[in-house]
Amino acid sequence: MPAYNTIAFHADRCDMCGACMTACAQAKSASDSPRRARIEVLADGAGSFGLAMCRQCADPECVQCCPAAALRKDAETGIVEWDHDRCVNCLLCTVACSYAGISLDEAVGHVVKCDHCGGDPACVRACKTGALEYLTTARIYNEVGALEDLFVPGLAGCQGCNTELLMRHTLRRVGPNTVLAAPPGCVPGMGAVGYNGMTGTKVPVFHPLLTNTAPMLAGIKRFYKRKGREVTALALAGDGGAADVGFQSLSGAAERGEEMLFLVIDNEGYMNTGMQRSSCTPYGAWTTTTPVGRESPGKSQDAKNLPLLMVGHRCAYVATASAAFMTDFYAKLDHALEASRHGFAYLHVYSPCTTGWRFPSRQNIEVARKAVESNFVMLWEYSPEAGLRLTHPIDDPAPVKEYLEAVGKYRHLTPGQIAHIEHHIADNVAAIKRQATAPL
Amino acid sequence: MSAAAPARRFLVCDGNEAAALAVALARVDMVAVYPITPQSSLVEYLAKYIADGRLQAELVNAEGEHSVLSVLQGAALAGARTFTATSGPGLAFMFEPYLRTPGMRLPIVMSIVTRDTLTPQSVWGGHQDAMSVRDVGWVQMYCETVQEVLDTVIIAYRVAERHDVMLPVNVCHDGNYLSYGTARIEPPDQNVVDTFLGTPDVNWHVALDPERPMAVDPLTGGAGGAGPAMFVRYRRGQCAGMRDALDAIREAHEEWGRLTGRHHAPLIERYRMDDAEFSIVTLGSMTGAAKDAIDEARERGRRVGLVKVKTFRPFPAAAIAEALRGHGAFGVVDRSVDFAWNCGPLYREVLTSLHGITPAAPSQSFIGGLAGADLTVEHFESVIDTVGQLQNAGARDTVWLNAQD
Amino acid sequence: MRKTEAAKVMGMERADYLIAGAGHAALAAMHAIRLVDAGGSLTVVGRDRQLPYSPTVLPYVVSGRSDPKRVFLRDEAYFACARTAYRRGHAIVRIELASRIAELDDGSRIEFGKLLLSSGARPVIPPVTGLQAVPYHVLRTLDDALRLRAELPRTRHAIVLGAGLIGMHAAENLSKGGARVTIIEVQGQILPGYFDADAAAIIARAFEHDGRVTIQTGTRAVSAEAGAQGGVVLHLQDGPPVSGDLLLIGAGVAPAIDFLAGSQIRCDRGILVDASMRTSVEGVWAAGDVAQAASFYEARPVLNGILPDAVEQGRIAGMDMAGDAALQGYRGAVPLNTYSYFGRHAVSVGSGCAPPGAEIVVRGDADAERYLKVIFDQGRLHGIFAINTPLDAGVMWQLVRRRTDLTSLRARFLAQPREVGRALMSRLWR
Repeated sequence: MPAYNTIAFHADRCDMCGACMTACAQAKSASDSPRRARIEVLADGAGSFGLAMCRQCADPECVQCCPAAALRKDAETGIVEWDHDRCVNCLLCTVACSYAGISLDEAVGHVVKCDHCGGDPACVRACKTGALEYLTTARIYNEVGALEDLFVPGLAGCQGCNTELLMRHTLRRVGPNTVLAAPPGCVPGMGAVGYNGMTGTKVPVFHPLLTNTAPMLAGIKRFYKRKGREVTALALAGDGGAADVGFQSLSGAAERGEEMLFLVIDNEGYMNTGMQRSSCTPYGAWTTTTPVGRESPGKSQDAKNLPLLMVGHRCAYVATASAAFMTDFYAKLDHALEASRHGFAYLHVYSPCTTGWRFPSRQNIEVARKAVESNFVMLWEYSPEAGLRLTHPIDDPAPVKEYLEAVGKYRHLTPGQIAHIEHHIADNVAAIKRQATAPL
Repeated sequence: MSAAAPARRFLVCDGNEAAALAVALARVDMVAVYPITPQSSLVEYLAKYIADGRLQAELVNAEGEHSVLSVLQGAALAGARTFTATSGPGLAFMFEPYLRTPGMRLPIVMSIVTRDTLTPQSVWGGHQDAMSVRDVGWVQMYCETVQEVLDTVIIAYRVAERHDVMLPVNVCHDGNYLSYGTARIEPPDQNVVDTFLGTPDVNWHVALDPERPMAVDPLTGGAGGAGPAMFVRYRRGQCAGMRDALDAIREAHEEWGRLTGRHHAPLIERYRMDDAEFSIVTLGSMTGAAKDAIDEARERGRRVGLVKVKTFRPFPAAAIAEALRGHGAFGVVDRSVDFAWNCGPLYREVLTSLHGITPAAPSQSFIGGLAGADLTVEHFESVIDTVGQLQNAGARDTVWLNAQD
Repeated sequence: MRKTEAAKVMGMERADYLIAGAGHAALAAMHAIRLVDAGGSLTVVGRDRQLPYSPTVLPYVVSGRSDPKRVFLRDEAYFACARTAYRRGHAIVRIELASRIAELDDGSRIEFGKLLLSSGARPVIPPVTGLQAVPYHVLRTLDDALRLRAELPRTRHAIVLGAGLIGMHAAENLSKGGARVTIIEVQGQILPGYFDADAAAIIARAFEHDGRVTIQTGTRAVSAEAGAQGGVVLHLQDGPPVSGDLLLIGAGVAPAIDFLAGSQIRCDRGILVDASMRTSVEGVWAAGDVAQAASFYEARPVLNGILPDAVEQGRIAGMDMAGDAALQGYRGAVPLNTYSYFGRHAVSVGSGCAPPGAEIVVRGDADAERYLKVIFDQGRLHGIFAINTPLDAGVMWQLVRRRTDLTSLRARFLAQPREVGRALMSRLWR
């Protein structure tokens, strides 16, 4: 069964301005009256907002209850389609629907319902607060769901780890015509390369050294290209190897424009070897080599901004992504893959580590989301042609304290340290925004 | 009309250019380069050949030797014939991937244009760099002449790519003396080299190809399951490859001699040893001066011979034992230091080869030619004099040949 | 040898799932089974030779609103895709429970693993003397509808016996077609059981306003005889006889369970089922118009000939048959009706029988033909009846079922049932 696009409602962003209803009424009923809209935002009487509109149910009750075969779920779009010619106006659909998704428009004398405006919903366009969002995540499922999962089942990541998710999605998308490098770290640690003569993937895979992922891939890629074969060179690396001991070789490959997709899963340290500090570990963080004690308050330096350094190389493509924003990640994966056909594509994914960061395993994606929504990390993409662009700008960031409080490695922070982090975020936001508006 | 024999072609060049010529003749697929004295001109020649289209190969200007070898590892894993060269500090920086190459059974050929190691600071020749990595698992051959440099680089591919070997090969030629010293050489015809090397033999057991996916080097070892035995199997396989390399080197030299008429000694060369009553053992370019000294000593009536070691790894212990047995005292001249034993490393290895042979011959370690110091006929005359006077076996202090120079 | 194979050897069809009927309950069951069990063999036996359609659509076929070729709920491709054998134009005539064999009207026999009885209802013909000797119409099948539609152009005066939904729809269509119509209803109001007397009166006014419809409630036909020119004369309990050139009987339906006579399956007015739609015999389920299931309101089981309810019963039966772990038991029948007439709309959700102590609030505007009646039982919605008053019937159904306490929202609910309903939806089950 395919997945479909959907209109999501974020009640916390809604200010009940009614623009969505007006836009819908205008688009669908040539009327300015919100009562003629097929979407209704309403106060739920408990201090929040609710939404009455068709949810385009997967197994729609209205369709089953229509005696006239006037409703059907379109297998391609997922829209529950209403057929004026078949409808007999019996209103049984309004009985069947528990969500007020289809109702009588007295002005026209028949039922009406949302149809997503054919893929460009007027309500979403009209929403200025981001409360309504047209989610196209379904594309991932539909396009990638059918693609083969090229990792073996049962990779042994820690409970709640997002890295397996990122790995599987990435390799699915990149496909079987790939040589995969998995330098030492969590990726091979969970079995991606394999053990004792057994492989962990269905593509050719190898352990480079922690230090030479990019040049090994470069050798592979260049030789295949010389032989006239188009093979994707893919690295699934960690932040430690990339930013610290492997930085020279990464930088060299980027400068030479070696054609590969270099994906760094940034869990802010050496999480596989026991939570040691890397240059990507943020200021103040506890790690096993920046322990918290009488003489030490955690890491005393800010994190190296590795993706920005890669922009400095003018790579064919550089982007940051987050495990909590998979649509964004997928779009960037597409761009990176494309760019890797003619240059060095670098994708930096912020990836919270339940084990090493000290938070409950069920909160992984939530922590990732909070990092983005507080601007602790920022999502952007860069190419030499288009410059740097924020893909998920956060204009009204959540207080970073909320993020820091969700993560155990910051439990000890003093107000002074938090102020330092806030200051650093402000600097970072300013720097990225400068880049984003800078002339090419 | 009678068929005229084709005119022989000669040219005058240095050892670095000779090595580069050999690489071009071997039709290498990929060359990765980084400058380091004294090998820089070697890769400059290669870059020029590639720029001129004389060598159809991928040139990777890596940002350091670590990546140089890493790039070649990748290319070799994809089935490429590869080459690079390095010296001293470059080799040290390359050490991490260098250490790993033999275990991956990658038939990479790399010239070590030998250089003494830091510190004291020096940019001159000496075997200390190559000797420092002697036990990592690469095949290592030392050259005596510019011609031998050219021929050995070509021979190295045949050895490395043989299926029962599949190991990386270092062709060592002395910095300064061979890198910059010019001589007349006779380059082989391309078709001779093509015949000799044939199609590159890809080790499909270690290959990264989406058309035949496999995991290269998954984690193994440990103390349980299939790990320990599997790790031992890999290690023993590597040892078997090294053992078989001795025969491969012999075979390759014989075939090369048959095709070109140039018969280099594959493992060791015995020089005027038949009736020798004592001998000296040499390695690399010093051998020329040593042979002159032997000839002069013979003229003076000294029954002295010489054994030149060409193949240092795997160590040709049986051949050396056979060569020295029954010929009395011997002295070994090293261009590097074995710090643990306070002698030359070749000396120690020669001693080990003779273990169990009685009576034990008197012997002496000489160390000379460090950091570009000259080893002249006069030096070898003193060596011959010293060895000729050795009376009985037993430990002796090392003689440092350039201590007074 | 597996049972299926044994049956094949013996030349008998075998179905892991056998569904009698092809209406809404049957189709919902089939869908639910296939969501869980893609592989089990499934056979649907439908009485009609047509593809599945809904009796509810038939008045619109009569009126011409619905194209009879486009009323089918599923096509052959659907059954093929669901790997379901669809035996059209057949009915099960006998069930051998011991050997688990169903016999069809053509004599063929199907061995079944599990059986769902969802063969629907058939029209009730009231005991009127002489009725069998005169021509009359019923409206339960597509053929019925096409026959009736063919009569419309030449009908000048129609008699409709029974003021249920079928009768009222037909009366409206006939009158719009230019005929005079007399509706005879034994109860004291039209649409009994669907709407309360007040609402019924408002609806009746719309018909009477039309001028061509006469409604006679509280009387019953006692005998029928042939009239002039192929017409019919109906003698009533009280009042003068009524004559017309077309007689339509819309006196309700009854479960079609004759074929179960003498079987061990316990029946009352319909087939008695539990909360999983299981009958008294293991391996046999019933759903839809044929089933008599728990009421939401009363202790005794009821027939609830309501389309959304048939879908729910069918789904429950299918889930239980296929062993779907997500099954939640039937929560009891709630009367649910929607009715559109002369461009107006009426909706009823819940019971109109107010229990002792219930609060009944009626709001109306006779001129605007707006009507709202709400019955609260201990602050909870017991039933709501509306004409030309916008509300979401499905949301009201949930409020009834969930027994949502509306005490504090009473005034606002009465003023704006739709808005309050939606707000509660947002809070409680969105």
